[in-house]
Amino acid sequence: MTRILAALLLLAGLGGVLAAKVGLRTDLAEFLPPGRTPASAFLFHELQGGTATTLLLAGIEGADPKELARLSRETAAALRASGRFDFVGDGTLSLSEAEQALLFRYRYLLSPETRPETFTPAALRPHLEALLEGLRSSASPLLVRFGFADPTGAFLGLARTWLAEARVETWDGAWFATGDGPPRALLLARARGAGLDAEAQRDAVATFQAAFAAARPGQARLLLSGPGVFAAEAAAVIRADVRRVSLAAVALLAAFLFWRYRSFLMLAVVAVPLAAGTIAGFAATAAISGGAVHGIALGFGMTMLGVTVDYPILLVTLRRPEERLGEAAARLWPTLRLAAASAAAGLAAMLGSGFPGLVQLGVFAGTGLLAAATTTRWILPLLLPGMRIMARPLPAPLRVALSALRGRRALAGAVALAAAVGLAAAGGPTWQRDLAALSPVPHAAQALDAELRSQLGAPDVRILFALGPGSEAAVLEASERLGTAVAPLIGRDGALQGLDLPSRYLPSPATQRARQHALPEAETLQQALRAAAEGLPFRPTAFAPFLAGVEESRTLPPLDLAALEGAPTLAARLSPLLSRRGGSVQGVALAQGVTDPAALAAVAAQLDDPRILFVDVKAETEGVIAAYARVTLLWALAGGVLVLGLLALGLGGPVRALRTAGPIGGALLVTLAVLALTGEALTLFHLASLLLLAGLAIDYSLFLGRAATDPGAATDDTLGAVLNCAVSTLLTFGLLAFSGTPVLHGIGLTVSVGVASAFLLACALTPRPAAHA
Amino acid sequence: MRRTRRSLLRAAVLLVPVAGGSLPVRADQAALEALMRTFAAVPRSQASFTEKKAIPELDLPLPSEGTLVWVAPDRLEKRTTTPIQEVLRVTGDRLIYERPDRGTRQEFSLAEQPEMRALVEAIRGTLAGDLATLRQHYDIGFDLLADGSWRMVLVPLSWRLRGAVQRIVLAGRGAQVLAVDTEGNGGVTRMRITPLP
Repeated sequence: MTRILAALLLLAGLGGVLAAKVGLRTDLAEFLPPGRTPASAFLFHELQGGTATTLLLAGIEGADPKELARLSRETAAALRASGRFDFVGDGTLSLSEAEQALLFRYRYLLSPETRPETFTPAALRPHLEALLEGLRSSASPLLVRFGFADPTGAFLGLARTWLAEARVETWDGAWFATGDGPPRALLLARARGAGLDAEAQRDAVATFQAAFAAARPGQARLLLSGPGVFAAEAAAVIRADVRRVSLAAVALLAAFLFWRYRSFLMLAVVAVPLAAGTIAGFAATAAISGGAVHGIALGFGMTMLGVTVDYPILLVTLRRPEERLGEAAARLWPTLRLAAASAAAGLAAMLGSGFPGLVQLGVFAGTGLLAAATTTRWILPLLLPGMRIMARPLPAPLRVALSALRGRRALAGAVALAAAVGLAAAGGPTWQRDLAALSPVPHAAQALDAELRSQLGAPDVRILFALGPGSEAAVLEASERLGTAVAPLIGRDGALQGLDLPSRYLPSPATQRARQHALPEAETLQQALRAAAEGLPFRPTAFAPFLAGVEESRTLPPLDLAALEGAPTLAARLSPLLSRRGGSVQGVALAQGVTDPAALAAVAAQLDDPRILFVDVKAETEGVIAAYARVTLLWALAGGVLVLGLLALGLGGPVRALRTAGPIGGALLVTLAVLALTGEALTLFHLASLLLLAGLAIDYSLFLGRAATDPGAATDDTLGAVLNCAVSTLLTFGLLAFSGTPVLHGIGLTVSVGVASAFLLACALTPRPAAHA
Repeated sequence: MRRTRRSLLRAAVLLVPVAGGSLPVRADQAALEALMRTFAAVPRSQASFTEKKAIPELDLPLPSEGTLVWVAPDRLEKRTTTPIQEVLRVTGDRLIYERPDRGTRQEFSLAEQPEMRALVEAIRGTLAGDLATLRQHYDIGFDLLADGSWRMVLVPLSWRLRGAVQRIVLAGRGAQVLAVDTEGNGGVTRMRITPLP
C-alpha cells in the first residue's frame, strides 16, 4: 500500500519536472506539415511566422454609440502610448505632421500622375482654374495649405488612396460597423515585430485588454480576435474542457471501479501504468521533437493513453484466486504483450504521415502504450506483492444477456454487413477539407473573427500572389509587373474587385527614377506655368513652392523601406504586404472579390516570372490536407498488415489472426458508418482515433479469443474483465463526445461508438459456452 | 541696475498671459457670459453678407455676396449668390455642401472633419450662445466697448487648424454679429454682415 503510494508520488514528481523542463507549443501552424509545393511552402511559412500573426481585431459593444466612441478613442490612445503596436486603426487615422511632411516631399516620386504631359500648360490650366474656384468657396482656408505647393493635386490624390477605408463608417472619431444590429465600434491593431511567438502574442492581447479596462468600460464589452487571441483561447478552452472531462471521468471511473472491485486501492493500481505511460510518452515526444511538445499532441496523447487502464484491469480481474499477482502477470504476459505490440504497431501509421503533429502524437501514444504494458507486467506486481483484490461477479441479468449474445456469428456478420451497406449508401466516409475544422478554436470564436473581418473590410484572403523573395527593388518591380498585368481584369465584370500591391504604397526605385526623368526642368516648368496662368489673378510668385518642390524632386534619392520609418501610417499599410526576412524581402499582393481564380492563375503563368507566385489559399490547404490524409491512410493499411502479421506470429497461424481481427474490422466499419450517417466529416484526429480504437479492439478480441481456446481459462471471468475495460473506456471517451471543442468531440464520438461495437462484436464471435448445453 | 532689469523682464514675461492673453478679466468674463445668454435667446435670425477674401498669392481680393440664416438650436446656412453659387448648410453633425451652379451636393459628418467643425462652431457656437462649445475649440479673448459693441478673438486650440487659420475675430453689437474676419496663412477674409428683419 505504501509502496504504491510512494510510486505514484515519484511519478507525479517526475511528471512535474518534465512539464517544467519541456516547453509546450500551442499554435496550430506548428502542428501542420511543411508545404510540398512552392505555394504551400510559402503559405505555411506565412501562417507560422508571417505578419498575419500580428493582427488583432476588436469590436466594442454594449453601450450607446457616444460611449462606444469614447471607449474606442481612449483604448486606441492607450495602445499607441504602450509602444507595443506598429499600427492602431480607430477612426482618428490621419497622417502626423512629420509623416505628412515626408510624404509631401516625395509626392511627385510616389504619384502615378507624374508624367511629362502633366506639366504642360494645357494640363496645368484646368488645375489652376479649379484652384481659383476653390479659393472662392468656403473650403479656401483648407485649400491654400496645399494648393500653391501642389496645384496638380498629387499629394491629395495619394492621401486619398492611402487612407481609403471602404467598409467602415467613422463617427465621433471612431470606426463603426455598418449594417443592422446593435452599434459596435471597431479597432484594428498590429503588434510590433513580424512573426510573433505565443508569448509575445499573449502580451499583445493582455496589453489590449488592459487598455480597454483602463478606459472604464462599465457595461460595454470588448470582443477581441486574431491569431494571438486564437492561440490563447484555444489553449484555454482545451485546458478547461480536458479538466472538466477528466474530473468527471475520474469520478465516474472511480465509482465504477469501486462498484466492481470494492477497493479504493484499485484506483491506485489503475493510475500507476497510466502515469508511467504518460511520462514515458511525454519524454519520448520531447526527445524526438527537439524539446518542445505540441499542446495538441500532449492533450490528445494523454486522452488516448486513457485506454491503458485496460492493462491493470485485465491483470487484476484475470488473476486466479490462488495466484500471486506476479504469477498472473507472467501467465497473461504473452497475450498482453501481443495486444500492446499490435496496438503500438497500428499507431505506426501516424509516424509515416509526415504531419509533424501526428508524428508527435504517434510517438506519444505508442511509447505510452508500451510503457504502460511493461509497467503492468513488471512494476505493479513489485508494488503490490500480496494484493488480494477480486472483481465481484457480474450482475445476473447482464451475465445472461451477454451469454445470449455469445456465439451469434450470423448476427455479428449481419451487423458488419449492415454497417458496410450504410456506409456505402452514405457515399463512404466524408473527408473534412477545411483546415479550420482541425483548429481547436471554438466555433463561436471563429465566427466572431469572420464577422469582425468582414466589418473591418478585411475579409479573409483566399487568393494572393507571393512576390519574391529578392531584393527590395526586385520585389517592388515584380509587384508593378503584376499590377500592370492584372489591371485589365479589375472591375465589376472582371475576374476580381481589386488587388492590394506593395508598389501601390512604395513604387520601385526604377519607377521613382523614371518619374524624376518625367519632371520638367525649372525653366520649362516656369514657362508652362506662366502660360497656364495667363489671365488668371495669380501673382507671379504664387507658385514658388510648386516650382521648388518639383526641382527638389528631380534629385531626391528614391524613397525606400528604410526611409519609410519616418512615415508610420504608410509603413503600417505596407507592412502586411512587404516584409524583410534576413537579407531579402518578401512581398504579397492580396486579391479582393475574386470571381475567377483561374484567370489570375493564368496571368501568373503568362508572366512566367519566378518572383511571382499565384497562391489559392483554400485550394492549397485543402490539397495539403488531402495529400497527407492519403499518405496516412496508406500507412494505416500498412499498419493493419503489420498488425495481422504480428497476430499471426503470436497466435500461430493466419486463420487465427484473421479470426481475432474480425471484430476489429467490424468495429471500424460500424464506427465509420455511424460517423458518416451522423454527418461527421473525418479529420486526421478521427483517423488517429480509429487507429487507437483498433488497438483497443485487439485487447478485447485477444483476451476473449484466448479464453475460448484455453480450456483452463474461466470464460465468464474473462468476459467480465473485458466488460470492465470497455465500460471504463466508454465512461471517459463518452464524456469527451459532449465536449464543445471539435477535436475532442470527434475523438470521443469515434472511440465510444467503436469501443461499444468492438466489445459487442468480439462477444458475439466468442463460441457459446459448452458447459451450459 | 542690470539685475533689476532682468527681474523686471522676468516679471513682464510672467505677467503676459494674465494681462494680455487668453484669459479675459473678470468683468469681461461676466460680460461674455451675459452676451452669450442674449444670443441663446434668439430663436432665428437672417442677414445678408459681403465677403472679401485677400490671399497673398492673388493680385486682387476675391469678393462674394449672399445670405446667412440661423435657426436655433443648431441649424446654420450660408448661401453665396455671387460670383459663384454655393450653399453651406450645417444641421447637428451633418454638413451639406451644395453647388447649385454645378449641380453637385456633398455631405460630410463634422466628426470626420475636425478642422471644418472648428470653423463651423466659431459662428454657430456664437449664434447659439454656446460658450462651452466655443471653449472646446478656441482660446477666447473678449472686449466689451463703452458704446455696447463687442469684439471676440478666437484662437484655435488645435495645431492642425492653426496651420490654416490663426485667428478669427468676430465683432458685433448686442445679439448681432456684424463682422467676421478670418486670418490665416498671410491672408484675411473679411465678412461684413447686415441683419435682415
